[in-house]
Amino acid sequence: MQLFYKKSTQDFYIFLFLIILSVSTIILDNKYKKINYIRSIISDVIIYPIDVISSTPKSIIELFVLESQEGPDLQLEITKLQDENLNLKIKLQELQSLKDENLRLRNMAKESTIIANKQTLVKVTSASAHPNKKIISIDKGRKESVFEGQNVLGLKGLIGQVIEVNYLSSKVLLISDLNHNVPAQITRTGEKLIVSGMGRDDKLRVSYAPLNMDIKIGDVVATSGIADRFKLNIPIGKISDVIYNQDKNFVEAIVLPYENIGNIAELILIWDYIPKKADE
Amino acid sequence: MNNFIIILLSFVISLLITTMTFSLGVFSPDWIQLVLIYWLLAVPSVIGLIGAWFIGIIADVTLGSTLGMHALTYVAISFVVMQSYKFLRYLTVYQQAIIIFIIFILKYTILLWIDRLLDINVYTLSIYWTPLMSAILWPVVFYILRFIRRKYYIA
Repeated sequence: MQLFYKKSTQDFYIFLFLIILSVSTIILDNKYKKINYIRSIISDVIIYPIDVISSTPKSIIELFVLESQEGPDLQLEITKLQDENLNLKIKLQELQSLKDENLRLRNMAKESTIIANKQTLVKVTSASAHPNKKIISIDKGRKESVFEGQNVLGLKGLIGQVIEVNYLSSKVLLISDLNHNVPAQITRTGEKLIVSGMGRDDKLRVSYAPLNMDIKIGDVVATSGIADRFKLNIPIGKISDVIYNQDKNFVEAIVLPYENIGNIAELILIWDYIPKKADE
Repeated sequence: MNNFIIILLSFVISLLITTMTFSLGVFSPDWIQLVLIYWLLAVPSVIGLIGAWFIGIIADVTLGSTLGMHALTYVAISFVVMQSYKFLRYLTVYQQAIIIFIIFILKYTILLWIDRLLDINVYTLSIYWTPLMSAILWPVVFYILRFIRRKYYIA
């Protein structure tokens, strides 16, 4: 009896201790973000191998498909062409938004010098790295000096931003996440708006545009660079629907993103724009 | 020692399945918690509260939640299960599934509560699908793990 009593009180004290420990880690993580390195250690040691294992069947099949095609020469050629294509597409992307901007700024003799000098192609290792949020993981991390807040693009437009950097992998929050907002502008008029995610891959939303705003179906929406979070003039999508809601005193609009946000295999990280850190 | 490796392996596999079923969203069952409850019922002394806490921290990193959130619920549930495993063991699997459904609802209420308290807003009310899916899949997990336990004589 004595022994049983001793054991169960011991259990109870361990329980209490662990509860307090959990609460303090929650507070430390949430308030001060001080224990991120523990997270990244566990992530590299345990989660990354598991991620790799879970994507192995897919990569083996891809390998076989690759093998069955023709030899390494062709592959080299393809890689080279893809790189070239990538560079050209990025240039094209900028040209498109610059063209729109020029149309508007022609009289103002103002030069715009936004060109991404360096970019890195990364692969998506897991298309959904979180059960409730739109987060994906990519195969580059601190080793390649990826940094938090780095802008992530597709070939056609904005995809998201890096939110967690581990040694070998990182996590990217997509702009389609329910709690994600992008400061944006209409390239035709330069009017500012905020594009929010809807939790869906094929649609984004503008919830609060003023009633007198000049906004039309087909307008191109690009990032505005306000709040120093995203680089200026990255295309996001096209306005596909404008809803005049008199009760709410706001205009709502639906934006169709250029990029197939949720289902994309390769992303581009840009290096010449360093967002300002949000201070805690 | 052998027992320990088998149990560890089962947790690694549960993590693997968790990352593979992320795309199901709220409909993916809480595999790690199910495996943990099974081992707590079958061999209560092996894992213990401290083990449950470490598994919770790993689950937190996997799920990308605030560090300590799942650890807290794992420890709380483990404590309850460890205190009452003698009772739970003699229920049929389907009765256990009902108990697990109730435990999971409490767990997700705590998670939702922490989520709202800290203003993270990751979870919505649709998270309550997870307890249902987990309870439905409990018999599957139970029979598979019991088969493994009997094969390797873990006691």
